[in-house]
Amino acid sequence: MSDFFQTAIIVGLLTSTIRIATPFLFAAIGALVTERSGILNLGVEGMLQMGALVGFLFTFQSGNHWLGVLAACVSGILLGLFMGFMVTTLKLNQTVSGLAVNLLSSGITFYWFRVRFSGGGSSNLPNLKIFEVGEIPVLSNIPYIGDILFSQHWLTYIAILFVPLVWYFLHKTRIGLQLRSTGENPRAVDMKGLSVAKHQYGALAFGGMMAGLGGAFLTLASSGMFIPEIQAGRGWIAIALVIFGNWIPWRILLAALFFGFIEALQLSMQALDANVPHQLLLALPYLLTIFALTISAGRSRRPLHLGIPYQRE
Amino acid sequence: MANLQEESHSILQPILRVENLTKQFPGVLALDNVSFDVRRGEIHCLLGENGAGKSTLSETVYGTYTPTSGTIYFRGAPIDISSPKDAIKSGISIVHQHFVLVPPLSVIENVILGTQTSGLQLDTKVARKRLMELCENYGVDLNLDAKVWHLSVGEQQWVEIFKALYVGVDVLILDEPTAVLTPQQSERLFRVIKQMRDEGLAIIFITHKLKEVEAVSDRVTVLRKGRNVGTVKTADVTKQDLANMMVGRDVVFTIEREEMEPGEVIVEARDLRALDDRGEEILRGVSFDICERQILGLAGVSGNGQRNLFDVLVGQQKPSGGSLKMAGKDMTNSSPAAHMHAGLASIPEDRINQGLVMDFKVEENLVLGLHRREPFARGRTLINQNAIRVFANESIEKFEIVTPSAAQISKTLSGGNLQKLILAREFSQDTRFLIASQPTRGLDVGSTEYVRRQILEQKRNGAAVLLISEDLDEILNLSDYIAVIYKGEIMDIVKADEVTIERLGLLMAGVAEGAA
Amino acid sequence: MIKLLGFRIEKRLDANPWVQLASVFVALLVSFGVSAILVNSAGVDVEEAFRAMLKGSVGSKSAFAETIVQATPLIFTGLAVAVAFRGRLFNIGAEGQFFAGAMAAYWTSTACSSLSPVPMALAVFAAAMIAGAVWGAIPALLKIRFGASEVIVTVMLNFVIEYILSYLLGGPWQDPGSSFLQTSKIPEAAIYSRMIPGTRIHLGFFIAMLLVVVVWFLLWKTTLGYEIRAFGINPLAANYKGIPQLRTILLTLAISGAIAALAGASEVTGLHGRLRLDISTGYGFTGIIVALLGRLHPVGVVLAALVMGAVVNGSLAMQIATGVPIALAFVIQGVVLVALLTVEVAAQYRIRRISNV
Repeated sequence: MSDFFQTAIIVGLLTSTIRIATPFLFAAIGALVTERSGILNLGVEGMLQMGALVGFLFTFQSGNHWLGVLAACVSGILLGLFMGFMVTTLKLNQTVSGLAVNLLSSGITFYWFRVRFSGGGSSNLPNLKIFEVGEIPVLSNIPYIGDILFSQHWLTYIAILFVPLVWYFLHKTRIGLQLRSTGENPRAVDMKGLSVAKHQYGALAFGGMMAGLGGAFLTLASSGMFIPEIQAGRGWIAIALVIFGNWIPWRILLAALFFGFIEALQLSMQALDANVPHQLLLALPYLLTIFALTISAGRSRRPLHLGIPYQRE
Repeated sequence: MANLQEESHSILQPILRVENLTKQFPGVLALDNVSFDVRRGEIHCLLGENGAGKSTLSETVYGTYTPTSGTIYFRGAPIDISSPKDAIKSGISIVHQHFVLVPPLSVIENVILGTQTSGLQLDTKVARKRLMELCENYGVDLNLDAKVWHLSVGEQQWVEIFKALYVGVDVLILDEPTAVLTPQQSERLFRVIKQMRDEGLAIIFITHKLKEVEAVSDRVTVLRKGRNVGTVKTADVTKQDLANMMVGRDVVFTIEREEMEPGEVIVEARDLRALDDRGEEILRGVSFDICERQILGLAGVSGNGQRNLFDVLVGQQKPSGGSLKMAGKDMTNSSPAAHMHAGLASIPEDRINQGLVMDFKVEENLVLGLHRREPFARGRTLINQNAIRVFANESIEKFEIVTPSAAQISKTLSGGNLQKLILAREFSQDTRFLIASQPTRGLDVGSTEYVRRQILEQKRNGAAVLLISEDLDEILNLSDYIAVIYKGEIMDIVKADEVTIERLGLLMAGVAEGAA
Repeated sequence: MIKLLGFRIEKRLDANPWVQLASVFVALLVSFGVSAILVNSAGVDVEEAFRAMLKGSVGSKSAFAETIVQATPLIFTGLAVAVAFRGRLFNIGAEGQFFAGAMAAYWTSTACSSLSPVPMALAVFAAAMIAGAVWGAIPALLKIRFGASEVIVTVMLNFVIEYILSYLLGGPWQDPGSSFLQTSKIPEAAIYSRMIPGTRIHLGFFIAMLLVVVVWFLLWKTTLGYEIRAFGINPLAANYKGIPQLRTILLTLAISGAIAALAGASEVTGLHGRLRLDISTGYGFTGIIVALLGRLHPVGVVLAALVMGAVVNGSLAMQIATGVPIALAFVIQGVVLVALLTVEVAAQYRIRRISNV
C-alpha cells in the first residue's frame, strides 16, 4: 500500500514538474530567440504578466480558453513590438527599456484588474475553469509514463514542440542564419543590405508572444485565477535559464524542467507538512536562480553583440 | 578578355561617376563638392591622409551614408543609393577597412549570408562549388568550414573579397586593404587585383601610402580636407607630386631618428606569456630589454598578440607566465595603478575606449588615473577643483590642445586633440617607460608630426620607449631597434639602420633567418 | 538619418539642457493625457477626477504635507538607484534593501530598547545602513566573483528577503497580542513621527534632504564619486587608468543599498511604529522611475520624488472622490517613464528642410 502511495507521489511530482516548467519554457525559448538577435529583453516579466491578465480577461469574458490564449499572444506581440521601438528604432538603453516595460505592465495590469473586478477582497477573487488536460490517445494509457508525459495541457505540448522548431529555425534556415548574425555582428548584416531592425523587431515579437503564452498558461491552465504579480519573478528566472542553458534550446529545456522539478518538490513538501518553514521552500526557486548564475561558466555561446544597440555610423 | 579591355578603354565611359558630392556631418564637412569616376578595367586609387574623406566617399557610394547633395551615376544613369542594398543591387561591393564578418560562423556561412532570397532552408551546395572555383582562380587556400574567428587576418580579408565576388561585382572598393598585411602578402594582393582588373572589374583602391599608388593604380585621385585636389594618370606623376597634393605644401621626407647614448636597462621582459579570452595562448614567450633613451619598435601585422602585450605591460592583464621588471622592480603581477606609480606612461591604440571618458570634461580626463594624487586630491578623498583647473589650463597651453575651455565635454574634441589630451596627461608625471600603441593612427599629418616629436622628446628626457605600430615607415623612422612579433613570439630583434623592409616583411610573415 | 516628405531628421550636436527640461514636462503631459483616457473609459468625469487629484496632492497645506510624506521614501530609493545607475550598476533590489533596513531598524530598537531618543536614532539608522550595505554587497560580490548579472540577482534577493520577513513576522517576531503578520510596537524612543505638528511629516524627510547633499558631495566632490562616474561611463578606460574595478562595484552597491535601507528604517520609525509586510508599496521600483525622471541628479531626484508623491497622494483623493482605483497612480508612473524615455530621444534630433538633393 505504501509502495503504491510512493509511486503515486513520484508520478504526481514528475507530472507537476512538466506542468510547472511550461511557463518557464515558453518565456525562456522566447528570450533565447530575442537574445540571438542581439536584444537583451528584460521586459519578459512584464510580458508574462500582461499575457496572464489578458488571457484571463478574454477567457472570463468569452468563455473560450483559446480566445484567451490568442489574446495573450497578441498582447505579447504588441509589447514586443513596443520594446522593439524603444531599443531598435530609438536605440534606448536595453536594460532601462526592459524595466520600463515591466513597470508599465505592472501598473496597467493592476489598474485594469481593479477596474474590472472592483469590490470584494481576496476571498472573492474571480476564477474560471482551467484548460482541460489534453490526453493524447493511446499513449496516455501507458502506465505511469502516460500520466507524466502524455496527459499534459495542450499548451505544454506546444511549448515543448517549440524547442526543436526553434533549433531548426536558428540553424537550418536562411532567416535563422540572418537572425543569428544580427546578434553576433549586426554591421555585417547591415552591410549585406539586410535590415537589422526587421530581424530584431521580429525576434522581439516572437519573444513577446512566447512570454504572453507563458503568462496565459499561468492563469488558464495552472491556477484558474489572476492576482496582481502572479508571475512572481518567473520572467527574470527565464532570463537566467537562457544563460544557464548557454543559449542552446535543448539545454534550456533541461534547465526549465529542473526548475519545474524544484518547485514541484517544494509544493509536495509543503503538502507533506515537512519540518521546514514554508517560506524557505517558497524562496527556493529564487535562491536556485542566483546559484545558477554563479555556475554559468559555459557562456561560450553568448551572442557577441548582445545588449549593444546598433548604429550604422 | 583582351577584347573587353580594348572595348572599355576605347569607350572610356566610366561605370561609376559621382558629381559634386557633398556630405555634411554634425560639425564636420567630410566631402566638399567631390567629383570622381572610375572605369571598367581600371584600378583607380583614392589617395589622401587620414581624415581627408576617402572612406566617407566610398561609404557614400556604398550607401552606408546618404549624400547631403550631389548625384551618383551608374552606367551613365543617375541612381539613388540610400542603403547598401541599393549598392549591392548595382554590383558595387566594398571590402571595409574593419572587416564585417560574423566570427562564430564559418567562411561559407559568412559568404552566403543574405544572398539567398527565397526558400526556407539554407542551401550551401551552390555556394561551396562557386567558392572553390574562386579559390582556385586566384590561388587562395581557404577552409570553407572553418569558423572565421580561427582564421588569420589575411585569410579573413580573402573572405571579405570573396563575399563580393560571390554575388558578382562590377565595382569593387578596397579600403586600406594592406593595413593588415605583410609586404609579401600585399604584393600578392596587388597581383590578384590586377588580375581582376584585367578581367574587366572597376576597382577603387583607397590608401594613404604613396608606394601603393605607384605599385598598383592606373589613375589616382587625391583628396584633401574633403575636396578633390586632382585626378591624374599615375604614370604622369611622381611620389613627390602626390605627396604635395596630399598635404598641400612641399613635403620633405626626413628620417627623424636621433642617435642617443642609451642608459641603464629600464624594462626587462622575460618569456612573457598570456592567454586570450578563449583561454588560448596568445603571447608565447616574449622577451626584450629597453634602456633609457632608447626606442624599441614593435613591428607586426595586427592580431599577432600586440594588444595582449600592451595589456600585460600596463598591468591590465596578468601574464600566465614569465616576468616583467621595471627599473629593477618586479612588476609581473602588478595593477595598472602600481605601474603608473612606477613611472609608466601609456598611449593606448583605441584612445576613445581605452584612454578617455568621453562624457567627462577635458580637465576631468586630464587627471584620470592621477585623481587620487596630490595636489588633485586632498587626503586621497576630496577633490581639489582649483588644482585640477590650474593643471588643465597649463596642459591645454603647453600641448596646444584646441578646446574652448577646460570644462568642455571631451567628446567634442577632434581626434588629434584627444591624442594631445592623452599626451598631456601621460607626460605630466616623470616617465621612465613609455608605451605608445598605434599613436598616430587616424591622425592628420600635423598631429602625426606633433605626436612623433613628443615621443622623441620623451626619449631625450631619459625614457625607455616601446613603440607598437602597424606603420612600418613609422617604426623605421623612429626606432633604434626593431622587434618583430609573429603569433605571439618575437621573431628577431634587429638594429633599425641595418635592416631592410624585405627582411622585416619576411619576419612579419613568420619566416625566420635562413628559412627558404 | 530619416528622410520624410522633404524634411530630414538629424541628430543635434549639442545637448541643450533647456530642451531636456522641456522633455520632462512633455513626458508628464503625455502621461496625464493617457490617464485621462483611462479615467474616461472607466466612466468617470475627467475634469472632476483631476481636480480631486490636484486638490488632494497640492491643494492645501495638509495635502502638500502628505505629499511630502509619500515622497520621503522615494527620495531615498531614488537616490539609491541614482548612485548605482551612475556607476552603471542596475540596482533593482532597492525594494529588498528597503526591507533590510526596516528589519534592522526594528531589531535594533527592540534590542537596545533602553536607549534614549538621540542615541537610539543613531543606532537604528546606523544598523539600517549596515544591513542595506550588506544586502547590496551580495550582488556586488557575486558580480565580481562570478560575473553574475546584478540585475537578476537583486530581483531574486527582493523575493528572498520578503520571504524571510514573512517568516519572521509569522514566527519569532510576531506581535504576541495579534494574529496579523506584524510585530508589536517599537519602543517610544525609536518613534520619530509627526515632526511638524498637524502633519505626518517625520524625521525621515529631514534625513532624506540631508542625504541629497551628501550624495551630491559624494559624486562630485570626492575621488570615490569621480571613480564611480568614470567607471559608469567607461569601465574599460577606468580600469586601464588604475581605478580598481572590484572596489568600485562593491562600494557603489553597498552605498546604494545603505541609502535604500534608510528608507525602510525611516518608514518604520516615522510612520508605522512597527514592522509589517505592507510598509512598502513598491518604493524600490518607483525609485527607479524617480531616479530616471530626476536624470540621476540628487536635486532632480527630490523634484521627481515630490511629483511621484503628489501622484500617489492625489490618486488616493481621486479614489475617494470619484471611485477611480488608486492603482491609476501606478499606470501614471509607468507611462511617465516610457514617455520620458521616448521624448528624451526626440529631443536629441531636429527637423530640417532638405535642400535639393
